[in-house]
Parts: sequence; C-alpha cells; structure tokens
Amino acid sequence: MASSTAVSRVRRQLPASPWLLAAPGLLVTGAFILYPFVSTLVNAFTDRRTLIPGRFVGLANFRELLHDDMFWTGLRNSTLYVLGVVPALVVLPLLLALLVQKNIPGITFFRSAFYTPVVASIVVVGLIWVWLLDERGLINSLLETIGVGRVGFLSDQWLLLISAMAVTVWKGLGYYMIIYLAALGNVPRELHEAAAVDGAGAVRRFRTVTVPAVRSTMVLVGALSSVAAFKVFSEVYLMAGPSGGPAGEDTTLVMLVQRTGTGLTGRVGYASALSVVVFVVTVVLMLLVLRADRRERT
Amino acid sequence: MPISRRATAAAAVAALVLPLGACGSSDDGGGSTDASGKVEGDVTFQTWNLRANFKPYFEGVIAEFEKQYPGTRVKWIDQPAEGYADKISADAAGGTLPDVVNVSPDLVAPLAQAGLALDLDKAAVKYRKEYLEGAWAGHRIPGMTGTYAFPWYLNTGPLFYNKSLFEEAGLDPDQPPRTYDELFADALRMAKESDGEVATLANVPTIEDFGRYGVPLMNKEGTAFTFNDPKGVELLTKYKELYDAKALDPQALTATPESSGKKFLTEAVAMNPGSALDLGNFKKQAPNLYRDIGITDQITSTGHVNMYVMGVMVNARTKRTPAAVAFAHYVTDAERQMSFAKQVAIFPSTAGSLDDPYFTEQDGTDETRVRVAAAKSLKNAVNYTPVLFSEQMKTELRNEVAKALQGKESPQEALDNAVRACDRLLAQQG
Repeated sequence: MASSTAVSRVRRQLPASPWLLAAPGLLVTGAFILYPFVSTLVNAFTDRRTLIPGRFVGLANFRELLHDDMFWTGLRNSTLYVLGVVPALVVLPLLLALLVQKNIPGITFFRSAFYTPVVASIVVVGLIWVWLLDERGLINSLLETIGVGRVGFLSDQWLLLISAMAVTVWKGLGYYMIIYLAALGNVPRELHEAAAVDGAGAVRRFRTVTVPAVRSTMVLVGALSSVAAFKVFSEVYLMAGPSGGPAGEDTTLVMLVQRTGTGLTGRVGYASALSVVVFVVTVVLMLLVLRADRRERT
Repeated sequence: MPISRRATAAAAVAALVLPLGACGSSDDGGGSTDASGKVEGDVTFQTWNLRANFKPYFEGVIAEFEKQYPGTRVKWIDQPAEGYADKISADAAGGTLPDVVNVSPDLVAPLAQAGLALDLDKAAVKYRKEYLEGAWAGHRIPGMTGTYAFPWYLNTGPLFYNKSLFEEAGLDPDQPPRTYDELFADALRMAKESDGEVATLANVPTIEDFGRYGVPLMNKEGTAFTFNDPKGVELLTKYKELYDAKALDPQALTATPESSGKKFLTEAVAMNPGSALDLGNFKKQAPNLYRDIGITDQITSTGHVNMYVMGVMVNARTKRTPAAVAFAHYVTDAERQMSFAKQVAIFPSTAGSLDDPYFTEQDGTDETRVRVAAAKSLKNAVNYTPVLFSEQMKTELRNEVAKALQGKESPQEALDNAVRACDRLLAQQG
C-alpha cells in the first residue's frame, strides 16, 4: 500500500519518469533500427548515390530491378538457399539434440564440440572451407586418392552454392541443437514410457511423442533459419568471392545490395530498393511459416 | 485533448523522416582553395594500411613537419586495406573526411566530382614541376578540369615464373615468353604436357590487361568505354582457348589477386604478376619456389608497362587549407619519397628521383635487379585503369568475361554487354 502511494507520488511529481527510464532503450532503437529502416524506405524512392543527395524518382528503382538480370539471379539463389538450408536446419539439429540429450559419460565433450562452429568466426570458418574444398585442397586430394577425381567445388556455380549451404548448415547445427535441447527437456518422460509400454519403437516414439512436443520449437527454428538463409551473405561471399562466383551466378540478394550500394560510387537508392524487397520477402516467409503452423494446429 | 495513436505514430514517423532530407547533402560550406596563408593549425592525415610496417617513418615525417612549421599539429590516422573505399565514402558522406587523405586515382574521381577534393592546379600549381609529368596527370578526371591529388609513390612489377614447371613442360626456363603470342603458346604447351594439371595463368583478364594488350579502353572525351573493339575481342578469344585447355586455372573465374598469388606459391600455376615486395614473401613462405623463381618483364603490346599510382589529396572542405596543402606536399616531396622508397619497394613520382643510383645501379641481388628494371620501365609506364572505372564496373567486366570463358556468350557479345553496362554506370555517375 505504502509502495503504491510512493509510486503515485513519483508519477505526480515526475510525470515523464517512465519515458526517462525508457529513453536509453528508445534512443538506441530509434538510432540503430528505426532511423536506418525509415531511411532505407525513403532512399528506395530516390536516385541517391553515396556522395550525391538523391531526387525523388517514384517507383523507378523497383521498375529497374524487374529488368535487372542480376536481381533475378540473386532472388533465385536466395530462394534456393532457403529451400536447401531450412529443412536441414529443422531436422538435423533435432536428431543431434536427441543424440546428445542422453546422460552418458563424455557427452559434454560432444555437446561442446557440436557447438564450437557456432562461436567460430565466419571468416575463419569460410577460409578453412575454401582451403578444404580447393582444387588442390584436402577433400579433393582424398577424392583423387579413392579414384573419384577432382571436383570443382569452388569453380562450378551449383557446387559452389551447395558447398556454401553445407557450411551454413554445419555452422548452424550447434545453435539450433541448443534450442531443441531446451525444448526436449520439457517433454515429460512419462509420455515416452507410456508409448514404450504400448509397444511403440524408437522411430514411432520420435514421430508421435517427440515431434508433436517440440513442434512449436520446430516452427521457431524454421522461421529463424529461413530468414537467416534468405539474407545469407558471408558464406557465399567468402567462398564465391566478391564477384559472386563464376560470372556472378552465385550472387545472393544481400550480396547484390552490398555490391550496388557501397563504395564511393554506390547507388544507395537502388540498393535501398533491393533491401526493401529483401525485407518484404522475409516478412512473407515468416508469415508463411506461422500460417503453416496454425493450419497444422487446427 | 486526447491525441489518437495514429496521429502519434504519424508524428513519430515524420520526425524520423524529415531529418533525412538533409542526410547525404554534402553542401556544408567550409574550405578555401587559397593555400597561400600561414601554415598553422591542426590537420588530420589518413594513410592506407601503412601504420603496421612504417610507424617510425611516418612519425618522423610528422615530427619534422611540425618542427619546420611551428604552430602546426598533424594527427595521423591509418585505416586497414580492407574496406578502405567504404571508410572514405562513409567519412565523405558524413562530413568527417580528414584534411589530407591517401588515395588512388579511382578513389579521387568520385570525391572530385562531389566537390570534396581540392583542385591542386589552382591551390598548389607551384609544386607541379617537382613531379613526373605523367604522375601529376594521374589524378586528372575526364570531363573535369584540374588535378585532384599530389602524386605519391608508384609501383610496377615484373612477371614471376616457376622455372621448374617450365622445364617439366619442355620449355626453356631461361627463355620466358616476351610477347602475347609466346605467352599463349607456352601456356597451351604447359597445359598439354602436364595433362591439365598446371595452369600458366590464374586470373581472368582485367581492364589493365586489355590496356596492356593495346585495346583502346575509353573514347578521348572519357564519356564511353571502347574495349569491345576487335583487339579486345581478340584478347578474350585467346583467353577462352586457354581456359578450355586448362592453361588458365579453372578457379580463375572466382580468383582474387590474393588467391592467385597463393596458387603461384603452391606451384599450381606457373606465372604470376608481382612486385619486388613478393620476393621476400617467396623467400619466407616458399623457399623451394624462391630457388626456382624466374623474373621477366611484364608482357605488353604497347611498349608501356602498367603502373599503380598512389596519391595524397587535400579535402576541399578543410578549414586549414595552407597547412593541409603544405603537409600533403611535404609527404610527397622528393626527399620524403626517396627516403620512403628506401624503406619499402616503391618508386618515387618526383622528377629526377628515378635517376638516383639506388634505382640505376646493380649489386647482383635479385631484389636490386627487380628494382632497377622496374624503375627503368616506370619512366614510360602507364596507369591503364581509367580513373572513372569503378568497382561496380570491374564486377560487370569480370562477370561478362567469365560468361565468355564458360561459352555462355561469344567474346564479342560479352564485351558488348560489359561496355553497355559500364557506360550505363558511367552515365549514372554523372
């Protein structure tokens, strides 16, 4: 009672106090999220360049990107990335989590080992994989030893994209594994025991007990990984090079944003229009995943 | 009176959007082209990845300058090589460009077009005669009058080749190719003899390769690119033959200068362009290669080797024009350039410096041989890369070249497309 009176007194004397308390957070959000977001939206309708203020050009940037072959290449690659990476990142970490969930001696080592790629720098990881997949790298040497011959992992546009996807999956496994481990901890042991008593085998128990229990986590992982996959940059940039692979055929949308909008001659307006497209597609992706989940529930 | 949530949101958005009107505007006044006043005050000097290896040298130069001009203070900042252009563009857009900036000609061009680089033909023309004519002209921008940076150091380099790989392919290791025809013939033979295991070259042709081959790159007015002429098509057709025969490394389509350098170090390719700096690198990282290293001149059809030019520009908006111009000149004058050249394998752009015995007399070592040969070739070298050729244009050319090499387009189609794309970007640059 006394404390609520004190709160009322503070509110009366300092009506702005809630705003003052929220001010640091609001300022940071405004400066680093809202302002750049609105700025990008505004720039998307201008012909602004890095050093030259833009003029309003209406939808010209959006019309131009419809006729830009590289935009369609980027959209194709980013979409393929989602299709290739998301199923793997939804299923494999769950299996991995089931594996390391068991309390057996030495399992902590494996949990840490699977998590290590998550904390490793993406640049270091990218360079290591480039070295491994090089024409004369370790993997090609092994393939040559067993008679398969050299494979152009870094010179063929499709193999390059698939290699980059493999690195993304490898690097993301540990992160999503941790999320699944937390979810699996909440699955009542009794459910498994009851199913086992009813004669359900390991696969059946996985399908009928584990999957339904962690389904909302799977949706979360699907949403997070699809947004991350659509916005992929580092893996492809490091493995395919700044030009985006042979003839730029591995360029993703975010790489195109970077290439178009940066530097002293950067086309900030056009790159902003591309960013708006990336934003809209990621929002649509999230909505699709959530809607699929809702339909499943009903 | 209660205010609706919608109105509050609209006001918030407006408050965020309205300041954007001013964003990007670089018309903040300041600066003068008159450098004749008293040299005094604080100036900032930005270098391009030089602190790690040359800290004592620059600290010495700054201390001497401050002693010579009492009342001046130079704040030295150094930026890493990676993302240097992005750093400059962020500073330029944000109005925080340092007073004196280390630049290359392609970086100066957009800064000059935006009115951010001081015209030295107006502010510092008295120093012009101190530099090589070609070097001073290196920072002129087509379509504009004036010169926008002091020439600083120059660099060029030979072509290194692996004598063992030449020998294994049945080629005379003491007779490296000297013409393009010889280069292409040797490369095809190397690929054939090694069964496609050893490529001779690791990089697709760049704009400077087209220039060195004698392809006209731009029209005289600097308003359109012309590298799709028959000579350009001829060069690309030759490279296509090399690529098909694996005489050009299969990973060349995605190679960077660093990755192709590594290929040469690991003896996966037989030839690579470089500079005197690389010899020390070979000695340290690949002693076997160093023992077998062959050094020959850059191959050109024009008789002029390619050179890289570094410059030092003065921010047109500096509040300390006399001090900034004086310091930019001080760093790049003959005495400072000569002492810098003795620290690292670069070459001065000041008139007469290349006649110094340091650049003309042999002492029997490979390093000196490379230095003397490079200094000699620099006297009539050319910076083939047009100053208006932006990073985006380089990517367009590279991607079209890759399409031609993959057989997706004919060399003529690829170069026509590249020229069209580069012309469009040039027009947008304004």
